[in-house]
This record gives sequence, C-alpha cells and structure tokens, in this order.
Amino acid sequence: MRNIYLIARRDYLGYVTSWGFWLGILLLPLIIGGSAVLPTMIRDNQPVRFYTVIEEGTEYRDLIAQTLEDRRISSVQRQLEGLLIEQPEGFRPESVEAFKQAVIGGADLQGALEAIDPGVMLTIPDEDWVYVEPPVSDEKALSPYLLGEAFLPGEGERTLFAAIVESEYPNPMTGETMPVLLYTSSNVTNEDLASAVRLASREAGRIALYDSVGLSQREVEAAADTSVPVQKVKVGATGEASAVTIADRAPFFAAVAIVFVLWFMVFSMVQYLLAGTIEERGNKIFDTLLTSANLRQLLVGKLLAVFALTLTLMGSWALGGFVISGALNAELPAMASQVIGAIGSSVLDPAILVPTIISFILGYLIFGALFLALGSLCETVQESQTLISPLLIVLMIPMFMLVMAIENPTSPILAALSWVPFLTPFLLILRLPNELPLWEISALIGLMALTTVLILWAAMKVYRAGAVHGAGVDSVGHWLKSLIPGMGSAKKAD
Amino acid sequence: MTPHPLSLDGATKRFGGFVAVDSMSFEVPRGSIVGFLGPNGAGKSTSLRMALGVIAPDEGEARLFGERPNLENLRNVGFLPEERGLYKKMSPRATIAYFARLKGMSAGAANKRADELLEAAGLGIFARSRISKLSKGMAQKVQILSTLAHQPELLVLDEPFSGLDPVNQTALEDLIVEQHKRGATILFSTHVMEHAERLCERIIMVARGKKVLDGTLEQALATLGRVARISLASEFDLEGALKPKGFEVLREEGEARWYKVALPTGVDAQEALQAAIQSGAPIAGFMPEQARLRDVFVSLVSEADAAALDASNAANPEPAHA
Repeated sequence: MRNIYLIARRDYLGYVTSWGFWLGILLLPLIIGGSAVLPTMIRDNQPVRFYTVIEEGTEYRDLIAQTLEDRRISSVQRQLEGLLIEQPEGFRPESVEAFKQAVIGGADLQGALEAIDPGVMLTIPDEDWVYVEPPVSDEKALSPYLLGEAFLPGEGERTLFAAIVESEYPNPMTGETMPVLLYTSSNVTNEDLASAVRLASREAGRIALYDSVGLSQREVEAAADTSVPVQKVKVGATGEASAVTIADRAPFFAAVAIVFVLWFMVFSMVQYLLAGTIEERGNKIFDTLLTSANLRQLLVGKLLAVFALTLTLMGSWALGGFVISGALNAELPAMASQVIGAIGSSVLDPAILVPTIISFILGYLIFGALFLALGSLCETVQESQTLISPLLIVLMIPMFMLVMAIENPTSPILAALSWVPFLTPFLLILRLPNELPLWEISALIGLMALTTVLILWAAMKVYRAGAVHGAGVDSVGHWLKSLIPGMGSAKKAD
Repeated sequence: MTPHPLSLDGATKRFGGFVAVDSMSFEVPRGSIVGFLGPNGAGKSTSLRMALGVIAPDEGEARLFGERPNLENLRNVGFLPEERGLYKKMSPRATIAYFARLKGMSAGAANKRADELLEAAGLGIFARSRISKLSKGMAQKVQILSTLAHQPELLVLDEPFSGLDPVNQTALEDLIVEQHKRGATILFSTHVMEHAERLCERIIMVARGKKVLDGTLEQALATLGRVARISLASEFDLEGALKPKGFEVLREEGEARWYKVALPTGVDAQEALQAAIQSGAPIAGFMPEQARLRDVFVSLVSEADAAALDASNAANPEPAHA
C-alpha cells in the first residue's frame, strides 16, 4: 500500500504542479459558462436597431410594432406561468392573472408590469427594435441609410437596419399585379425582424378576413382567450396526475450534466495517463521503478493519481460553482435559482447517486486502464495517436447520445447501446431518470464490473509487455495482422 | 551458510527464437566487487534484469539473498539500469528522496539523505532545479545517487560508466570503492576493461549469452599465455632458432623485424631472451609483455564467435554446388 501511495502521490503532484492542469480547471467552466451565458449576453447587449415602413397609411407599421411587443409580453407571461407551477418562495400567484388581464385590457409590456407585483425577479426582454419615420419618401433613396453611408435624422450616428416597403409585383403565372412587402436590409442572415414582418403580414390578412365577415379583432382575441389551456401533467404511482414541474425534469438535466462531466473527465485524463506513461517509457524509468515496486502497484498508483486529480478538478469546480452561485444568488432570476436547486436535489437522490457513483468509478477504471496500457506501448505522443484514435471515436458516441437522451429518454437505441460495455457507464447514467427496473440497473452494473475486471487483466498484460518487454506500436500491428488469416504467413514468405 | 547476495542458476531467456541468455550460472559473493563483462548484445543486461526479477527466466532461477527476487529483498538492492532516465520535471532532491522512499526510507530520512548526497556530489545548488535543466552528466549523477541513497547491501550497476566523461568516470570509480568500503557488494557490467581491472576482485565474462569466464582477475589474465616481444637488428631466422627450444614464434604483421614469442608455462621471458642470444640472433630490442584483460576479453569473445559460427554452419550446411 505504501508504494501505491508513493507512486500515486508522485504522479498526482506532478500533474497538479503543471500549469496545464490549472488551465484545464479554468477552461471548462469558462466554456460551459460561456456557451450558456453568451447567447443571452449577445441578446442583452444587442444595440437597439432601427427599421422603417413605407406604406400608404400605418397598418403594417402598427402590426409589426404590435408583433414585436407581443413577443416581449409572451416571454414574461411564460416566466409567470412557469413560476405558477413551481411556486418559488415569495411569488404571488395572483400576479399571473393580473398580468393577463392588463394585456387583454390593451396594456403594453411596461403597463402590464406596472400592474403587477410578482414578488420575485423576472427577466424582462429589452426592446431591440425601434420604428423610425422614413428618412426619405423615395424607397430608392434608402440605400445609403441601409448601407451605413447616411445616418438617420436626430442624435447620434444611427443607421437603418431594415426598410419594409409596401409594393406590388406582377404574378409571373397570371400576369396580374399582386401586393408585396419588400423587406430590405444589408443583413441577410438576421431573421428576427423579418419573421415579425411575416407574422404582421399574416395578421393583416386575418384582420381583412375578420372584417369581411363582420368580426372585430378584439372579438377574435376574446374568443381565443376562452380556449382550454394545455398543461403538461405527469402520472404518479398512485394514479393521480400532477403538473410537470422543474423538479420532474431536473433528473434528466442532472443526468446529462453528470455524463458530460464523466465524459470530460475521461477525455481529459487521456492526456494525463498517456503523458505520464509515455514519459516513463521514453525516459527509461520502468526498470528503475520495477526494482522498487511491482507492476500492479504501478498501475494502481497511476490510476489513483489521476482519479485524485479528477476529484481535485471536480472539487474545484464544485467549490467555484458554490461560491459563484452563492455570490450571485440575489442577482439570479427566480426560475434560474429554482432550476439549480432542483438539479442539485436530483443529483443527491440515492436512486441516481448510487448507480452514478458506481458507473463513474467503473467507467473511470475501464478507460483509465485502457489508456494506461496503450500509453505503455508508445514512445511518443504522436505514436499514441494511432492507438488512441479509435477509442476517442467511441468516446464521441455518448456525446451524440446526450441530445437524444433529452428529447427521447426512452429511445430503444439508447437502451440497446447502454449494453455496449464501453458505453454503459455513460448511458446507464443517462437512462437512470427513466426509473429503470432494479434488475436492469443491476445487470448493467454487473456488465460494467465484469468489463472492468477483464480490462484491468488485459491492461496488466499489455502494460507488462510495454513497460518490461519494450513492446511498441509495431507489436500491436503485428498482433493484429496475425489475427487476420493469411496475413501472418504472407509476411513469413517474404 | 550466509547466502550470496545474488546468484543465477542455469538461467535461460529466449526472445522468440533468439536465445539471449543460455544457462547462465554465477554467484556474487558478499562484500565483493564483481565485473560482469561482455560485448554489446552478449546478454549482460538481460541477465541482470533476470537476477533482479524484472523479467522472469524461461529456465533456471535467480536468487537474491537466497530467495527469489521480491519487493522485500529488492529493498536491499540498488539498481542502475543500462537504459537510464529520470522524471525530467522533478528536482534532483525529490527524485532521490522518491526512490529512497520506495525502498522503505521515511520521508524525513530520505530528504536528509538526498541533501547529503547532492552536497557531496557537488550538486547542492541544483537540488531544487528541474532535472531537465541539468546537463546529461549531472542527471546521470543524480540517477546514481538515487541508486545508492538507501544504502543498499547490493549494488547492481549496468554499464555505469557509459556516457560519463573521464573526470566523472574517475569520480564514479571512487564512489564504487567508497560503497565497497561501506560493506556493499557490487556487481557492475561494462565493456570497458580498464574499469574492471582497476576495481574488480572477480570477473564474469559473457559472450553470445553464455558465460565464458568466471574467476579472479589473476585467473582471468592467466587464461592467456604470456608473451615476450623481440626485435632484430638484421634478418635472422628466429623461428627456426627458437622452435627446437620449445618457443612458438610469430612475426608481427606490419612491424619490421618484431617477433612475438609465446612463453610456455613456467618459462620466464628472460629465458626466451637468453635462448635467442645463444642462437646468435642480432637482438635490437626486448619487451616482456604483461597480458591485459582486454586481450583476454578479445580472445574469449573471438573464440565464442568462432564457436557460434561453427555451430551455425554445422546446423545449416551450405548446399553442395551442382
């Protein structure tokens, strides 16, 4: 045990004193945080953009403005309805109905918000699009404003993002003249305003139809408001139905998060295990080590070192996450705090936690032993690429499965692939929120345990061949050739 | 009877069809310095790796202090392998202490010992530098210090002098002598005979995987007949004059009128000179020659090569031409 401890300690200290390790610790939260926050940041920091409408009258101008405002109202309304289900502390449920009534009463977002006091923080979408009067009456003279060569009247260097022009065009099939809305912008990819214009156009069509049958828009909206609301419910063990809350969805998100961490751990330990073993082989340290420790001690010590390293990694992230979420708690919207809390509770649920810990450890041992054994066959990192690449491709499969697990957690493909030993550690965790039968969890854990024993046994053999007998990548090539009938004898005949 | 610190008994190691070591048997007596000599590829490193349990013999057995090699008896062994290397990112102090701790020393004692050894070797100021920053010679010193930090009873050094400059070679010789004085038993392999001549009480010579000599330095030297070299001032049939008196005479190639006279057992070089003078030879120079270990080495290795070639030819006779 002492030798295992010494070997693990040396390797562990070797890793944690390298700047690459600390860079890795910082990098993942930055990537995850960045990918989560960046789209919101981009949206929130979007500069206000200006559009104009050239038409006879103000029909489209008003409808487009209303569509854009409706989007903002819907965003807040969805938040309020979610809060109504989750009922976070301090939330006032009556604010949901009050908000709706204010909107039906014709209030804009600001007006509707002033009419309620939800008791918790809401995320209010910014007003990204602002209508401006056409700077010129001739649509052909708009180009300089759209290209940023001319500025809109008023303060600052404001340019025009888009111009919507009511026009006509001849139908190529019939030759008749048809009305058309020309959406002109130098930005050809942004669909935000363009989709609002399309909605407004449809709304205009609907209003014309309502008028033709003698209905006002208000009457139609009132009719829509009497429709039966749709609510997602779940069925409990006793047969009673209850609303689907974040707490119900949280285990799925938790499983995805855990699998991602396991995947990242396996992916990042590749470099540590390979680098460590290749260094020892390249630097001819094995013979010295083998007169002080046996192969089993070396293998276990190294696996423990990288495991401790991974715990350090995750501990640092957990601590950082705890500190940051604690510091930002007051700043987080109520729903975000609710989601974080629910995911945390799901992770700590023993039905998920116990199989997850087992999968985590066995998954680590399977891949760790494999990488360690393969690393012992390589003199350089370049050499190791040949052997590691196929494994890395296998490792990509769980990543593709993450999306499937969220959208279709009971997929038969997911279930079938979870019986592939190399994928079991990942896919069992992904399937756990589906309340798998105990026999299946036990069988999958048994499969992983058996695979781990076999892999450790084989890894010890390969490690011995590499570390003691100097077997290399070529040896693997020869061995693979010998498995193919005819290849071995062809070589001898040369 | 106290068992030998190291012994091989009929140890054989094959790699595929190649016999790297063939029925190797020898002992390293306690308190001795033994030279394990042989040309490159003779099976020295393989024998040492078997002796220390790094690899298992296919036949025969290895013993350390009377037992099969195990981690317990290996604690009394310091091994410097032929293929050397260190953790380049570690400091010399941490490296020496690490290997000493693996051999059973406590952390405090290992660190103290590392400091002492590094100071004594003149590497004190580099104690906390990275090994990658040291010169090759310095790094090699660190590895040697790592080998003996735990003050082992048996030191096994595989080609310890290779890669060292003459100054450091001398320093290493001194270190070996110092360790011997401390009471350590030392087995080192080399193909540089001068080190063995200066240090060894006993010589084991191997060629083509087989032991070809095992004995004291004197016994090794005695395997070669002694010679005297005589030069003549003018042409003279020295071979014809000395052959009837029992001396074998060989004219040395490229050397004008230099002859090598083989001395039969019990015959002094002076007697050969006297016989030449009596036969009327015009003597211009005379040089009794002391046999060197290098000559023994070359002679034995050549014999082993010739025997191997004969055996190969016998096993694969050339087909008769049609």
